[in-house]
Amino acid sequence: MFLTRSEYDRGVNTFSPEGRLFQVEYAMEAIKLGSTTVGITTPHGVILAVEKRVPSPLIESSSIEKIMEIDAHVGCAMSGLTADARTMVDHARVTSQMHAFTYDEKIGVESCTQAVCDLALRFGESVEDDDALMSRPFGVALLIAGIDEKGPQLYHTDPSGTFTRYDAKAIGSGSDAAQQSLQDAYHRQMTLEEAAGLALKVLKQVMEEKLDENNVQLARVTPEKGFQILAEAELKERIEAIAA
Amino acid sequence: MNAVLQSLQPPARHTNEDEEDAWGYGNLDQRGGVRGMMVPRVPDPAAFLNLHTDSISSNPAAKIKLAHGTTTLAFRFKGGIIVAVDSRATAGSYIASGTVKKVIEINPYLLGTMAGGAADCQYWETYLGMQCRLHELRNKERISVAAASKILSNIVYQYKGMGLSMGTMICGWDKTGPALFYVDSDGSRLKGDLFSVGSGSTFAYGVLDQGYSYDLSDEEAQELGRRSIIAAGHRDAFSGNTCNLFHVRENGWEFIANYDVNELWYEYEAKKKAGASQAQAQKDEGMAVE
Amino acid sequence: MALFDQRPAYAHEPTVAPIEHRFSPYSDNGGTILAIAGADFAVIAGDTRQSEGYSIQTRYARKVWQLTDNATLATNGFAADGKNFVKRVKQRLEWYEHAHHKPMGLKAIARMIQTMLYGRRFFPYYVYNILGGIEEDGTGAVYSFDPVGSYEREACRAAGAAQSLVQPFLDNQIYFKNQTPAPGAEAFVPGRLPMATVLGLVVDSFTSATERHIEVGDGLEMYVVMKEGRQTTDLTDEGQLPAGMKVEELGSMGEGRGEKTFLVSMPLKRD
Repeated sequence: MFLTRSEYDRGVNTFSPEGRLFQVEYAMEAIKLGSTTVGITTPHGVILAVEKRVPSPLIESSSIEKIMEIDAHVGCAMSGLTADARTMVDHARVTSQMHAFTYDEKIGVESCTQAVCDLALRFGESVEDDDALMSRPFGVALLIAGIDEKGPQLYHTDPSGTFTRYDAKAIGSGSDAAQQSLQDAYHRQMTLEEAAGLALKVLKQVMEEKLDENNVQLARVTPEKGFQILAEAELKERIEAIAA
Repeated sequence: MNAVLQSLQPPARHTNEDEEDAWGYGNLDQRGGVRGMMVPRVPDPAAFLNLHTDSISSNPAAKIKLAHGTTTLAFRFKGGIIVAVDSRATAGSYIASGTVKKVIEINPYLLGTMAGGAADCQYWETYLGMQCRLHELRNKERISVAAASKILSNIVYQYKGMGLSMGTMICGWDKTGPALFYVDSDGSRLKGDLFSVGSGSTFAYGVLDQGYSYDLSDEEAQELGRRSIIAAGHRDAFSGNTCNLFHVRENGWEFIANYDVNELWYEYEAKKKAGASQAQAQKDEGMAVE
Repeated sequence: MALFDQRPAYAHEPTVAPIEHRFSPYSDNGGTILAIAGADFAVIAGDTRQSEGYSIQTRYARKVWQLTDNATLATNGFAADGKNFVKRVKQRLEWYEHAHHKPMGLKAIARMIQTMLYGRRFFPYYVYNILGGIEEDGTGAVYSFDPVGSYEREACRAAGAAQSLVQPFLDNQIYFKNQTPAPGAEAFVPGRLPMATVLGLVVDSFTSATERHIEVGDGLEMYVVMKEGRQTTDLTDEGQLPAGMKVEELGSMGEGRGEKTFLVSMPLKRD
């Protein structure tokens, strides 16, 4: 298998005879190395939770940022090469603001996701003043959570530029087990509290380290308060609550 | 010599509009910058614009009349910033509107005022709002008034000589306390305690200067702002209709009220008369005792 | 030195009076437009005469355009710019619908028009726009624009040749300017007039402007945008409309929320 692959996995824009773009597929593999990230939709809002890997006690854990605000009503969590995500998040922020400037309304969550995915395919061997920005595909997947007139929504984007809407989704290294747990425990009428509890439980289950307020990040998007990253004190409370 | 220079000048920058329209955000580029401002293919676009538009009443024969004429003021005091404006827009001698919102709410803690071209102020201050929000998202911190006003001043400076007309005050409260900057389309950007801009500014300054002190109470400061606009609305034909009053405090701006300039003028006159007759009565009484 | 035997053409001093060749791409085609917002409807109207100087080019040129189920735009000034502008607005509306899977709301159209007009800040469209329709909250709304994009939401607005004749009348009748309620009567609240009254005011505005302005006349088109739930009979019933009106219901343009647009037209004097 790998023998045939090696012929076609050099160029980012060369299809293999089987019709595959190996660099894009490898980029998707990069996500499976990333930290586990979970998103859950409820009728009352969306929850995002991420595992923060803190490999050394000398790391200032608050400087690791894996959940970011896109606009007051949209946020996102990431898994994979987080540096790539910053480019995408900035693009999403700019697009959201341009939408608000041009149309005097909040951007839709799907439109915002689409804007990020438009960027995902801007790689390749660029000619001068071409639109290509990157020499390789992004190595990161995002969970984009938000609320608009269509209600609370959660989208998953991957390096191929595909996006899919989910009720609940897990990505990253522990995603297989996490996704299974979500499938078992999820129901459509969950409260936001239950969803936050479930997200933490799922992370706890797949994480190697013991879950505490320094190695996870939790955020919610609600109709009343928009996107919020939970402060350490509240996070600690919730972690203690699921332990009990 | 001018003819020689002109013939040697490169043709004016021109962009293809059809390409721009396919992009959903018209005048903005991928990074939120400005693009696609169409310029006529003539040797001197500014002269073209000046010939066909009348933005400062300098060319009354022009077909395209843009709304202008104003009194706006803002001043800093211990309780924050008072912003007061009139609401009249004139095109030539016609009152195009008496309900213009000349205070532009850039975001919940920044205000801009409108003098000069209404569209120039409205458009660029809305654009400034977008840039301020991006700053906030990227830096997890509100932009300072100094930085915000500088963004605006840098934008309009890029268009210097092209015919923009804008005299604005950017007002807000940041880490340094209440801050006030005057920015105009010539490229000026001044930090100060007290400004008034527009055709009625001289009248407003008259009232403002005699009553201003940094230590004014909130009520006194609001009254000073209001009184100054009423005075300008009364004496300047290009200003009037109503007065909009705002107060910027530490936690953002607050809209105080909208006042009818004409009604308030008569109220002040009545108070003045009542005050005068009371003083006269007191004087008479004093004499009688003596 | 042969190169310089002849002075370059541009260096010749003019020997006769200079001929003026300046770029003058604008014309004024007269006419008047007007829009009034009601509580749950909006009327957007314009006459149909198009003139240049003292000659009438046509007695039927459209100045009011249905954009979506809940928005109608009136343009006035230079007709060619107006037509082109409307074409571009419609194009943007279509693209927006493809990109965001919903029709553009009235407030959004208003802001977009600002950005489109301002994009031509240095080469303006010589067009005064008035946008009317139903807002997302179901209220009737009117937005008026200057040629380079400054805009404001209002209860009513007139623009064009007879603006200075019509606007004072509307100020008096719509904003109740210089009117005092009878003692004990309710205070006036602008924007709450019934549809029949509003249509009567529009007709009176245009018949009067036709009497006193040479560039106004020939025909009147009034587009009535109604909130969902209002009935066609609100318009066609006896007493709702002055005599001699033609009423036409315009079909839905997309997946709105059931707003209806009607075109009410009548002749104006043609002299």
